[in-house]
Amino acid sequence: MITHPEDGFQLTTTLNDAGEARIRIAGDLDWDTADQLTRAAAACLGTAPAPRGLLLDCARLTLCDSLGLSSLLMIHRQAGEAGVRLHLVNRPAALQRLLQITGTDHIFMDAAEDGTATDAEATDDDATG
Amino acid sequence: MTNAEGSTRSTRGLTSSVGASWMRAPCPALVVDAADVVVEVNTRAAELFPRAERGAWLKDVVPGWLVEGHRRAAAGGEDPAATGPVRGRHGQWSLEAHPTLVPGGDVVWWLVDDTDRLLAEAALRGERQRTAFLADASTRLLASLNTERCMEVTVDLAVEHLADAAVLVGHASGRRHPLALGAGGEVTHRSARIEPAMIPGLAEALQGFPPVPSRWIDPAALPDWAVPDGFAGPAGSVVVTPLPGPGFPAGALILLRRSDRAAFDASEEVFARVFAARAGAALSAARLYQEQSGITATLMAELLPPVLRQVHGVEFAGGYRASKDTERVGGDFYDVHPGADADQETLAVLGDVCGKGLDAAVLTGKIRNSLHALLPLADDHQNLLRLLNGALLNSRHTRFATLVLASVRRRGSTTHLRLTSAGHPAPLIVRHDGTVREAPTTGTLIGALPDVRSTTAEVTLKPGETCLLFTDGVTEARGGPLGDAMFGEQRLRSALGECAGMPAEAVVERIQMLVAEWIDDNPHDDIAVVAITAPRTRHLTAVDGHSPGRYTP
Repeated sequence: MITHPEDGFQLTTTLNDAGEARIRIAGDLDWDTADQLTRAAAACLGTAPAPRGLLLDCARLTLCDSLGLSSLLMIHRQAGEAGVRLHLVNRPAALQRLLQITGTDHIFMDAAEDGTATDAEATDDDATG
Repeated sequence: MTNAEGSTRSTRGLTSSVGASWMRAPCPALVVDAADVVVEVNTRAAELFPRAERGAWLKDVVPGWLVEGHRRAAAGGEDPAATGPVRGRHGQWSLEAHPTLVPGGDVVWWLVDDTDRLLAEAALRGERQRTAFLADASTRLLASLNTERCMEVTVDLAVEHLADAAVLVGHASGRRHPLALGAGGEVTHRSARIEPAMIPGLAEALQGFPPVPSRWIDPAALPDWAVPDGFAGPAGSVVVTPLPGPGFPAGALILLRRSDRAAFDASEEVFARVFAARAGAALSAARLYQEQSGITATLMAELLPPVLRQVHGVEFAGGYRASKDTERVGGDFYDVHPGADADQETLAVLGDVCGKGLDAAVLTGKIRNSLHALLPLADDHQNLLRLLNGALLNSRHTRFATLVLASVRRRGSTTHLRLTSAGHPAPLIVRHDGTVREAPTTGTLIGALPDVRSTTAEVTLKPGETCLLFTDGVTEARGGPLGDAMFGEQRLRSALGECAGMPAEAVVERIQMLVAEWIDDNPHDDIAVVAITAPRTRHLTAVDGHSPGRYTP
């Protein structure tokens, strides 16, 4: 298990040619960091024109606790209101398990589901929570 | 006045040694010979001592302390200045007399009026004492965040340094004012319905207006409640000072002095106000803190799990280990709502609220209350969860809860359960042979999404079999040999497998013990478990539900 220092949390936002925003999440998504992700996503969704889609790339997500999930649910709600398609890609096993237990995996689209997958980034095997 | 002998000689001596300008010196001076006879008096000295004239006996014209000083100086020999000045009072003045020996054995006395200097020194000493007192007061006042203790210290300090007795009228809670009364080293607490208008200035002081000068208050008009028991009256003067707080006054301080002591002067009143400002700040801080901790305690008390017991022939046992780190108190909870009779289902609920601290506590309270109100609809778990979800949905945030519902009813020797998970880890079932299975139930978490779906599992427990509800605080407890591994579901399953046939309480104790050992001293989230067990036989459970040995096959 890779342990990240608390300040190792990092969000990288990029916009591709197709008009899709991608936020790469690296580190622990928890009490201390969940708000940052909510704000970063809100900033993406609030641009004019709105992005064609929003991709949350979890390849380097090391942990997601209940507040992290709360943040993902808030982004899901806001993306729905903005009419922006939300994808949760490269989910580590622990995140997938959390989504399954809480009955929320069906509300987040994976990249493969509608074929809009951008670059298929390999899932980081170490990125378990 | 009698003239002494030898005055002629002395006059001669003076002229040669001092000169005529001496007469006009700005400070009083007189020359006295060794026989205590005044030889010469300058103009200022003559004003000071009207009877002093050439040839008079010293003791007839100056105060005794100066006569004494002169005799010592004259007898002292070579240098009377070495004996230093002598001091004393003369009328309204305070004087310092410096001796100088002149040839011939006479002593010249130079007198300095140090009345102002002494007053200034006394004022400085007083000011230093007050500063020291204020520093001491601040230290003592800030030592406690308990309002009662704070009132006590204020009254104590006031009696020690400002007055003979003091009464602190605190901020009214309802219609009664808390009072702290101090006199003679003792402080008593009381609460009373008082009429502030009875003491001039008190009503204003309680609203934070500036204090009323003491002379306006007639001590005889003081009501009985405002006079402490230990006060050996009668009261001579009274001062009422507000205790200002941030935004609102913290109360008022009444200072009393006995009639045999000087009344409060203006500077003392100002000082009392300075002290009151510090006391008021400390008192307000204590009150705010007490209110805050009261609110937290009330909310936290709501989180305390109920004591579980056997209900309609089924054993229920619960264990809750709150996170030591109050920031991490996550709001795990459980409740058991017994059916009206043995034919009705009993509903057990175990849940985990997202977040920590007060936010989590508030949400937990909301869920438990809502569930209680929805109990009559517990026949249909899906409907109940839908209604609960609707009650908790909030446009501002996506805080959620996950929970498990267990409707339990015993029929004959078997116990029937309907289990529904709402986004929560599924309950584990341990059979009498030690096999452990997950109850096949899944569902959506509550409070964040407009639609929730769930499936209910129907499970039958034979005597000695247990269904365990738990929060992820168990499986995600970090510890073990290296301190960073999770307890995990596999460990929980194998631990539970060893609990086959045990009564509910023993199962809970066993699981809690194993998890506690695993965690050791590591920080952890809330941990909650509830065991629902079908008793092995009615007889044995009725006798003793504690010793696992009785149940070992």
